[in-house]
Amino acid sequence: MFKKLFTTAAALGAFMTPLHAGDLSTMSWDEIVAQAKEESNLTWYVWYLQDDFRRAISSFEDEYGISVKIPDGDNAGNSQKMLAEKDRETGDIDVFAWGYDSFETVELKSLFNSLDKLPKDDGRVSKLAGVDGGDHVLAFWGNQSGIAYDPAKVSEADLPQSIDDFATFWTDHPNKFGFNYEKGGSGPSFYQNVLRNVAGVDFSNGEVSDARIAAVQPGFDFFNKHAANYIITASNVDNINRVSDKELWMAPAWEDHLAGLQNRGEVRKEIKFYIPEMGMNGGGNGVAIPKNAPHPAAAMVFVNWLTSPETQTMFNRDFGTAPMNAAADDSAALVPNEQRAFRQSWGKQPFRSKVEEAFIDNVILER
Amino acid sequence: MTMRNWIQIFALLMPGLGLILVLIGSVVYIAIAQSFGYYALLGESAFSTEFWSEVFSRKIFSRAVRYSIYIGFWSAVLSVALAYPLAIWLRKPFPGSIGLGALLKAPLLVHGLVAAFLYINVISYNGLLNQTMQGIGIWAEPRRLQNDSNAFGVLLLQVWKNMPFALLVLTGSVQGISDDVLDAARDLGAGPWARFRKIIAPLTMSGMQAAMVIIFIGALADFTFQTTVGPTNRQSMAQLMVSFKSRGDWHSAAVVGVSLMIIALLGSALLALLTRTVMRGSPR
Repeated sequence: MFKKLFTTAAALGAFMTPLHAGDLSTMSWDEIVAQAKEESNLTWYVWYLQDDFRRAISSFEDEYGISVKIPDGDNAGNSQKMLAEKDRETGDIDVFAWGYDSFETVELKSLFNSLDKLPKDDGRVSKLAGVDGGDHVLAFWGNQSGIAYDPAKVSEADLPQSIDDFATFWTDHPNKFGFNYEKGGSGPSFYQNVLRNVAGVDFSNGEVSDARIAAVQPGFDFFNKHAANYIITASNVDNINRVSDKELWMAPAWEDHLAGLQNRGEVRKEIKFYIPEMGMNGGGNGVAIPKNAPHPAAAMVFVNWLTSPETQTMFNRDFGTAPMNAAADDSAALVPNEQRAFRQSWGKQPFRSKVEEAFIDNVILER
Repeated sequence: MTMRNWIQIFALLMPGLGLILVLIGSVVYIAIAQSFGYYALLGESAFSTEFWSEVFSRKIFSRAVRYSIYIGFWSAVLSVALAYPLAIWLRKPFPGSIGLGALLKAPLLVHGLVAAFLYINVISYNGLLNQTMQGIGIWAEPRRLQNDSNAFGVLLLQVWKNMPFALLVLTGSVQGISDDVLDAARDLGAGPWARFRKIIAPLTMSGMQAAMVIIFIGALADFTFQTTVGPTNRQSMAQLMVSFKSRGDWHSAAVVGVSLMIIALLGSALLALLTRTVMRGSPR
């Protein structure tokens, strides 16, 4: 009797225990796909546009018969979960999405499976915004910050390109420009690039020292000098809403965010977007498969689908992203390719965080 | 008392006391420990006062403390001040008073976030208020009313949300005053203000203190209204705590959290004392 029970329990255990990365290393791609179909489901932790992604992944589910669960959760919560359960034998996360620069803050090899079993595709992107994801991370979402503007108020020829142009615009049109310093990165991208241009600080160096922070002061002075002529908004979406509402003429925004809102009819279609010559930050988000993913084969097939030219073309069309596969079609982008030359990388940590703290203390709290 | 009695009392208290000790005590303990460097999610856990000194040296923290106390204090005072006359008015039933009382308490059933979004729609640049004011010719062009720097929007929403609670508490207290007492005061020549000052206020002191303290604590820790309609050039303590936490700085977030608890405790005691002093002339 006990023998029967033990055998049954062992058989059930073997059936229910998910396969791990090691099992995939000897498989061909076809075998991985077959294994993925057996696993039949996966969980993708992505912190934004969850509802839109749930719709977008239906073609993957139809093609492979693998269901994808996307839990609700924010960026900090997802990343803390990933780190907190890294020592569990089997975690909850199959595919983990994160800002590409955030992957730089952890040791990729110890946390994530190698993606070298994916079918060869030279168009995929593993180096982005100065971060090399190696065999462990692939970019699936390209984004670019810039300025959203109302063409009925500002003509293309009059768009501010340099810090002096912005200062002139603020003086000529008081309180028609606004930016956020929290709840979204478009405002921080704007003010950090102004600081970089005014103070000449090197954000690509993450080292923190009193002298380096003090060197940013001319940039703070620039903002304080013009404080009466621009406004501080509440968030990324507040920027776009206020331009759409005709309260502001210009405000920082993310290209993909604006395109998504326009595609869904939530803001005016007439609003345009550009990247000023002084530069604004661009980057993207990547995906990786945690070492303790419960469905590693399904995760691998999903990452392959997510980074394929077809999916990247679909993301460009539906979300306005910069495609993260060279073979994808980027004709639906909001900005012409020549403006992408003004793209800057996000500043390195911990210097960037210290500048953000100093900006709040020296500019925001001085208002 | 015998040991047996003590054990019996302890066993009877355990269902309530145990819950408080386990649920609240453990959270408070972890917050305090985390503010001193323990329970690090990443990195080493070790005793340190560095987080306290670093957070206390930040201008954003002192501004957040002042701002949260401002919101907590005025929300409590204004809510209670508005609720008192209504509670006295509704003290004796009249036709429609039950319906009116229910209507006044309706905001208790509406989540604050819903109210905040409705408020934004009303005061936004092209919102109802701006359109009305322009329509009747008072304003020539739309005015920027969102995220006002004096936090009047936050105070308005706090009072809208908390006044019904104060009304609920005060109605019970006011209705507990016997007609005979008020009639006797009236017979002795006391006018409406004297009756309020010398009869109603002292007899409803406990209810008023409870309302003030509970509203103060809730408004002090406001996050929802602040992040939706609050000024953008300052943060509430709860907002600052979340901001630290979202950067992964749990220790600094814990410092703000523990400070919030201390301010809530001390502020409540001071507010209760102040209420008693103002209403009775001196503490007893």
